[in-house]
Amino acid sequence: MTYRISRRNLVKGAAAAGLAMPFINLRTAAAQDGPITIGIVTPLSGPVQLIGNFVRQGAEIGVAHINANGGINGRQLALEFRDSKANPNDASVAARELIGSGVNLQLGTISSAVALAMGPLLESEGGVVLTSGAGTEKLNHENYNAHVFRVGDSPVSRNAGLVRHIVQSRPEIRKWGGIIPDHEYGRTTWKIFDAAMRKIVPELTGEEAQIADPILVPYGSGDYRNYITQAMRLDVEGIYTSVYGGDAVTLYQQAKPFGLFDKIDVLLDSANEFLVATAMKDQTPAHWSGFHWYYEANKGNPLSDELYAQYVERTGNKYPMGWAAEAHAGIMAYAGAIAKAGSTETGDVIAALKGLEFDSATGKRRIRAEDNQAVKNAELAFIEPSASAPDGFAVTDYVSLDGEKVIEPATPGQPLDTTIL
Amino acid sequence: MIDYRRRMRANLAIAVIGLVLFAVFPLVANSGLVFLAGLVAVNIVFGLSWNLLFSGVGLLSFGHAMFFAGGAYAMAVVSLRLPDLPFAGGLLLGAMTGGIIALVFGYIALRRASGVYFAVLTLAFSELVHIVITKTTFLGRNDGLVGIPRPVINLGVASIDLTSALAYYYFIIVAMAVVAFALWSFQNSPAGRLIQAIRQDPVRTAFLGTDVRSWQLTAFVLSGTIAAFCGAVMVPFAQIASPEIAYWTVSTEPILFTLLGGAGHFWGPAVGAILFGAIDYATRALYGLSEITVGMLLLGVVLLMPGGLLGFLLSRRTAARRLTGSGKRVPMANAEKAT
Repeated sequence: MTYRISRRNLVKGAAAAGLAMPFINLRTAAAQDGPITIGIVTPLSGPVQLIGNFVRQGAEIGVAHINANGGINGRQLALEFRDSKANPNDASVAARELIGSGVNLQLGTISSAVALAMGPLLESEGGVVLTSGAGTEKLNHENYNAHVFRVGDSPVSRNAGLVRHIVQSRPEIRKWGGIIPDHEYGRTTWKIFDAAMRKIVPELTGEEAQIADPILVPYGSGDYRNYITQAMRLDVEGIYTSVYGGDAVTLYQQAKPFGLFDKIDVLLDSANEFLVATAMKDQTPAHWSGFHWYYEANKGNPLSDELYAQYVERTGNKYPMGWAAEAHAGIMAYAGAIAKAGSTETGDVIAALKGLEFDSATGKRRIRAEDNQAVKNAELAFIEPSASAPDGFAVTDYVSLDGEKVIEPATPGQPLDTTIL
Repeated sequence: MIDYRRRMRANLAIAVIGLVLFAVFPLVANSGLVFLAGLVAVNIVFGLSWNLLFSGVGLLSFGHAMFFAGGAYAMAVVSLRLPDLPFAGGLLLGAMTGGIIALVFGYIALRRASGVYFAVLTLAFSELVHIVITKTTFLGRNDGLVGIPRPVINLGVASIDLTSALAYYYFIIVAMAVVAFALWSFQNSPAGRLIQAIRQDPVRTAFLGTDVRSWQLTAFVLSGTIAAFCGAVMVPFAQIASPEIAYWTVSTEPILFTLLGGAGHFWGPAVGAILFGAIDYATRALYGLSEITVGMLLLGVVLLMPGGLLGFLLSRRTAARRLTGSGKRVPMANAEKAT
């Protein structure tokens, strides 16, 4: 019998092949010995691009480190970047698009709103995300989702640690106020600061803390003068602020001529690291800032030294910020989990990340299996203006607090109980 | 004499062909691309709803995001807080939210302003909606509402499960094709032609006994309702409603779609939305470049093709027909400019 290719058969064949296309996953079949791609969805344009750039550099340095040391089980790591524009909509589109093209392991989320949105999305699409900078306590409490891990510090260990250190070093300061951004991250930090102050001050001094209502400022505002005037009227000795990024620089610059920083004894900044200091130089008000990673506090740790040297070499910037180290830690965590699981499948990687111990630029970290929260040390540094320093400011004191001592107990699915801080 | 039946058949064919193309897309594309295609389908109708105002009644709205966000948030709230309400109820509430916002703001804006003042007022109202969303705890403030479930539609004897992204994608494209064709039908109905007469000459149309402001308000409410419906349909797909969808940048999107595709053609915004989606996808790994590419393209289109891409293609076709001596009318009946 002869077989002839008729037009009709050709059309049928093409239609059958077309219908079968979605079920033939060529990528998975071919990908077993190719590079393992990790998706980075982070702000790479717009006002928060600054932070996204740190994430990008940190992840790239982390991948170069892993690949230079033989990769993971013989496979190299590769990165695929997408711009989240710091916007949950764009981030969710990018995350879905990456998963659709087979990139199920992702990191780079720095916004709390985006991190909260990722849980249900990744659960339904089948992916994992490691967040580094997202500071909402809901992530490992009431909105806990098995597909989202925080490899950076929890807001409790950061802020309660900051409070404990300040109360110990300046026990005479009892009257506190706050300038807080009016969104998820800001409200979280204030809730923890307020609860920690009210508990720790009486514990250490025997007297009550006096805490004024916080001044809530809008996100992305170019004019903070009304709020600064409001702050000038407060009868306080210390101010806590969690305004961050470009907003913080604007706020600090506008507050300077009002004399707000001369009026108070202590300025406590939850997260800006060198951001304000590099912008204001010798005009920087003296302040304590929380750090994801302060390289001087980690000198001697080969991962930290390498990250710092590489960062300075790549960018010429001597003040890398902690977001770089958190993205770097994300890469280390994935490397550890993939090696442990021997697989890149979502379920296997989640199982391997839970309880994982891995090395990072801030030393050993452990991811709690119960709530996907990393336990790492909380770092803070005192930055003040200095006429002799080449950049107009200098770090004159720093501390690194043991993560196991400052982190809250794991209560996934439950709201954070501030009475236990 | 214009053959309206033929015109209707041609445009119905366009809607059906568009639907078929979107329907076969998942066979050749991965789930990420299918998700983007779903958003493009929503954007097509969002653009068409804006152009109903611009090329229909001659009103320039700079605040269409308020309707889109109104519908999206209404749907999100209903899905999260009233899970027992049928899905169609959520869609209806979503669309009505846009209609009510349009009725309130349109009533004020149309009484007091026209032309550029009207455009600025819509922008101001839209910002107001954005601010209200970011300050309302019930609506999730700056963080939005997340984890919005996709529905299972219960029809009594059977149920349609739309919980997977692919199933919901098919729902979106069918819904959008139906709405797009309904919108075309409205614009080509006696009422649609009346509002076009208002755009061409409001004074003369008023002189003929038409209550111009009521018709303008009707078009504004209809446009707002459709934009809100788009938002309500989009939310279970993206599973998130965040304040960014009420931001002014979203209001510029239907304007971009329309200018790219061609304001003088009913399907112009559809062509623009597809082109915009394609550029967005092609430049996804070139961060920051998508805005520059869209900007450059828009500049090119505005300078070189004032009628938009569709206008340019159709005029080329007409010119070619004339050259070959074919006296046949352009079969895409809608090619006749609506302007």
